[in-house]
Amino acid sequence: MTELKGRDADPAASQSAAALPGPTSAEGARRQGRASEGGMGRWVGARRRAARKQERLEEQDSAIPVELYGLRRGTVTLLTTLAFLFAIFTLVPIAWIVINSTKTQANIFETFGFWFASPFSFFHNFSLLFQNVDGYGTYIQWFGNTALYAVIGGVGATALSAFAGYGFSRFSFRSSKVLFYLTLAALLVPITALTLPLYLTYAKAHLINSIWGMILPSMISPVGIYLMKVYTDISVPRELIDAARIDGGGEARIFFRVALPLMVPGLMTVLLISVVAVWNNYFLPLLIFNVNTKYPLTVGLGLWSERAQNSGNAQLFPMVVIGGLVTIIPLIVLFLLLQRYWRGGLLLGSIAN
Amino acid sequence: MAAISTRELTKVYATGVKALDALDLDVADGEFVVLVGPSGCGKTTALRMVAGLERITSGTISFGDRVVNDVSPRHRDVAMVFQNYALYPHLSVYQNIGFALENQKVAKAERDRRIRAAAGVLGLGDLLGRKPKQLSGGQRQRVAMGRAIVREPSVFLMDEPLSNLDAKLRVQMRSEVLRVHRSIGAATLYVTHDQTEAMTMGDRVAVLQAGVLQQYDTPRALYDRPANVFVATFIGSPAMNLYEAGLSADGASGSRPAAVLGSQRLDLPAPVAAHVAAYQGRKVIVGIRPEDLVVSSGPGMVTEARIVEVLGSEQHVYFWLDATPATQAAAATDEPAEAGFLVGSAPNGMARIDPHTPVKPGARVTFTVDPERLYFFDPDTGLAITG
Repeated sequence: MTELKGRDADPAASQSAAALPGPTSAEGARRQGRASEGGMGRWVGARRRAARKQERLEEQDSAIPVELYGLRRGTVTLLTTLAFLFAIFTLVPIAWIVINSTKTQANIFETFGFWFASPFSFFHNFSLLFQNVDGYGTYIQWFGNTALYAVIGGVGATALSAFAGYGFSRFSFRSSKVLFYLTLAALLVPITALTLPLYLTYAKAHLINSIWGMILPSMISPVGIYLMKVYTDISVPRELIDAARIDGGGEARIFFRVALPLMVPGLMTVLLISVVAVWNNYFLPLLIFNVNTKYPLTVGLGLWSERAQNSGNAQLFPMVVIGGLVTIIPLIVLFLLLQRYWRGGLLLGSIAN
Repeated sequence: MAAISTRELTKVYATGVKALDALDLDVADGEFVVLVGPSGCGKTTALRMVAGLERITSGTISFGDRVVNDVSPRHRDVAMVFQNYALYPHLSVYQNIGFALENQKVAKAERDRRIRAAAGVLGLGDLLGRKPKQLSGGQRQRVAMGRAIVREPSVFLMDEPLSNLDAKLRVQMRSEVLRVHRSIGAATLYVTHDQTEAMTMGDRVAVLQAGVLQQYDTPRALYDRPANVFVATFIGSPAMNLYEAGLSADGASGSRPAAVLGSQRLDLPAPVAAHVAAYQGRKVIVGIRPEDLVVSSGPGMVTEARIVEVLGSEQHVYFWLDATPATQAAAATDEPAEAGFLVGSAPNGMARIDPHTPVKPGARVTFTVDPERLYFFDPDTGLAITG
């Protein structure tokens, strides 16, 4: 890789060029595509493809040789190599889990870890996830639990972060600064330090073995609140709120109708972070659940793994491997789905200069 | 009864900065009032307080006979056009214009009728389906106007609505804004820093400086009878020339009354002399508008031309006059100090003359001025001298 992308290749930058007179030809083509979005669906598709191709070509044209950035080619090669090695390092465990999910129990231990071996037992392993093999619980049930906790907790955390972040960003009220700094301070407290007080509180509040014991704390996300505050600061201009107030909008309506649509990229980031946090949470469910029908995947797989090693129930090993693989798939899918929301330019045309 | 009136309206920020000091202003029904002044003079603060977007430190704001100090912006029935438009970027032009009506729960058919009517007035009929990012600057500006007029408000506020347009479009939109104003007839308060906009658009113009109202009058009166040095230099372009002068007493050494500017002597006819009689024998500030200077071949003020700008329809002559300019007041205007970097003595005056009069830089030019067109100010207070 000897060429770096120029600033012009940045989609946000190329979109903002549209605000200026004399749009680029790609923008022109895209706009034409948009203009014809009526009933001519097929045409639109073809035009969009043409516009995208044009965009790609322009991107190539605008790539700037590394020398113009004041970098030496040797430096670039070195950095690229290091980045490549780091990428391999990160991907190795994923490759291992994919490969070994196709192996039998015996082959996991006896064959080379980074290549396939026969028999191909992926589907057999997969089917085990639907069975209660050793009486400790069914993977599919834990999967359902995790999904439930992650969806309610993640969506709840996102909603609360949006409310709180918007509030901190766009209202000034007594001690708002103090409250915000307290929120930030909460980031610094490790959850492990809270184990005992949390457990005792839960016991009093009858939240032990309750799904709400898992979900409610997951809905509080100091990181999410912080991110939404910062994101609102930059993405929801004060003038827009002023304009909506003058236009007679109530505060709730202004939030939902004017501010929220502009906060979407930030919301999606918080949603992803929160869902992943709940999905991967091991400590909290371990603390509050002692009924294995309520376990999430993390605790369930941990239990299997522990039993496979300690009680000699070796057939659990392939299940732990494929279980691990299936566990990460929804997160990858979620990431890919949300990716399209991370784009700039939502404010184009709203505020002059 | 005035549609908008402010009494002793004052804003002091937490930092202690006094942005607005006891503003008294009345805007009659259907009147177009311009608040003008240099950057940071408090005009936008005043407008935002009228809109309800800014807390009032003291004083009152009334719409008609209703004091609105504690009324939230959404219940004030004001419409406002923002300097940077502040359009809702994710809503179409139609939805942008209709947003306020939706908030008021206006029935759909009625809403549709009013949105289309407003769009019609502003020539936005074909753009209703577009998003703000698909519009040009001028079109966005119209949408911002449409959003305001669709409400048929009793009070219309505009905060430098034309300042983001290019020069040509700005001139065009000036008459457009006035046309729209006449068609809806709401009391309008219009903020600008551009004195040309103020002069051409306002029924009355309020000149603000450093949070203090300097003068509130018709454009004609501001030009002809500026209340003080600040208004005199701020209104009118190019700005008025100001010099320190002494008024020689009538009859002393047998001469006629005159204003003495450095080595120059301007004879004052009896009515003018009577006007400034109280200042005889004392120092004053004399103001001369560049357009009142006429090149003469006879006696007059002798100057040396330094820079000559030919604009086609007129000619600007920057000259040096052997007199002390009164600059302390002029410094407050937006205009940068002109050509002060030149070697030697910089020009200290400016004349706007006929483009066909031959004037060369470095040449000696004699100007005459009708003494009736001179302005006199008290050098201590800066106030106009009224006889």
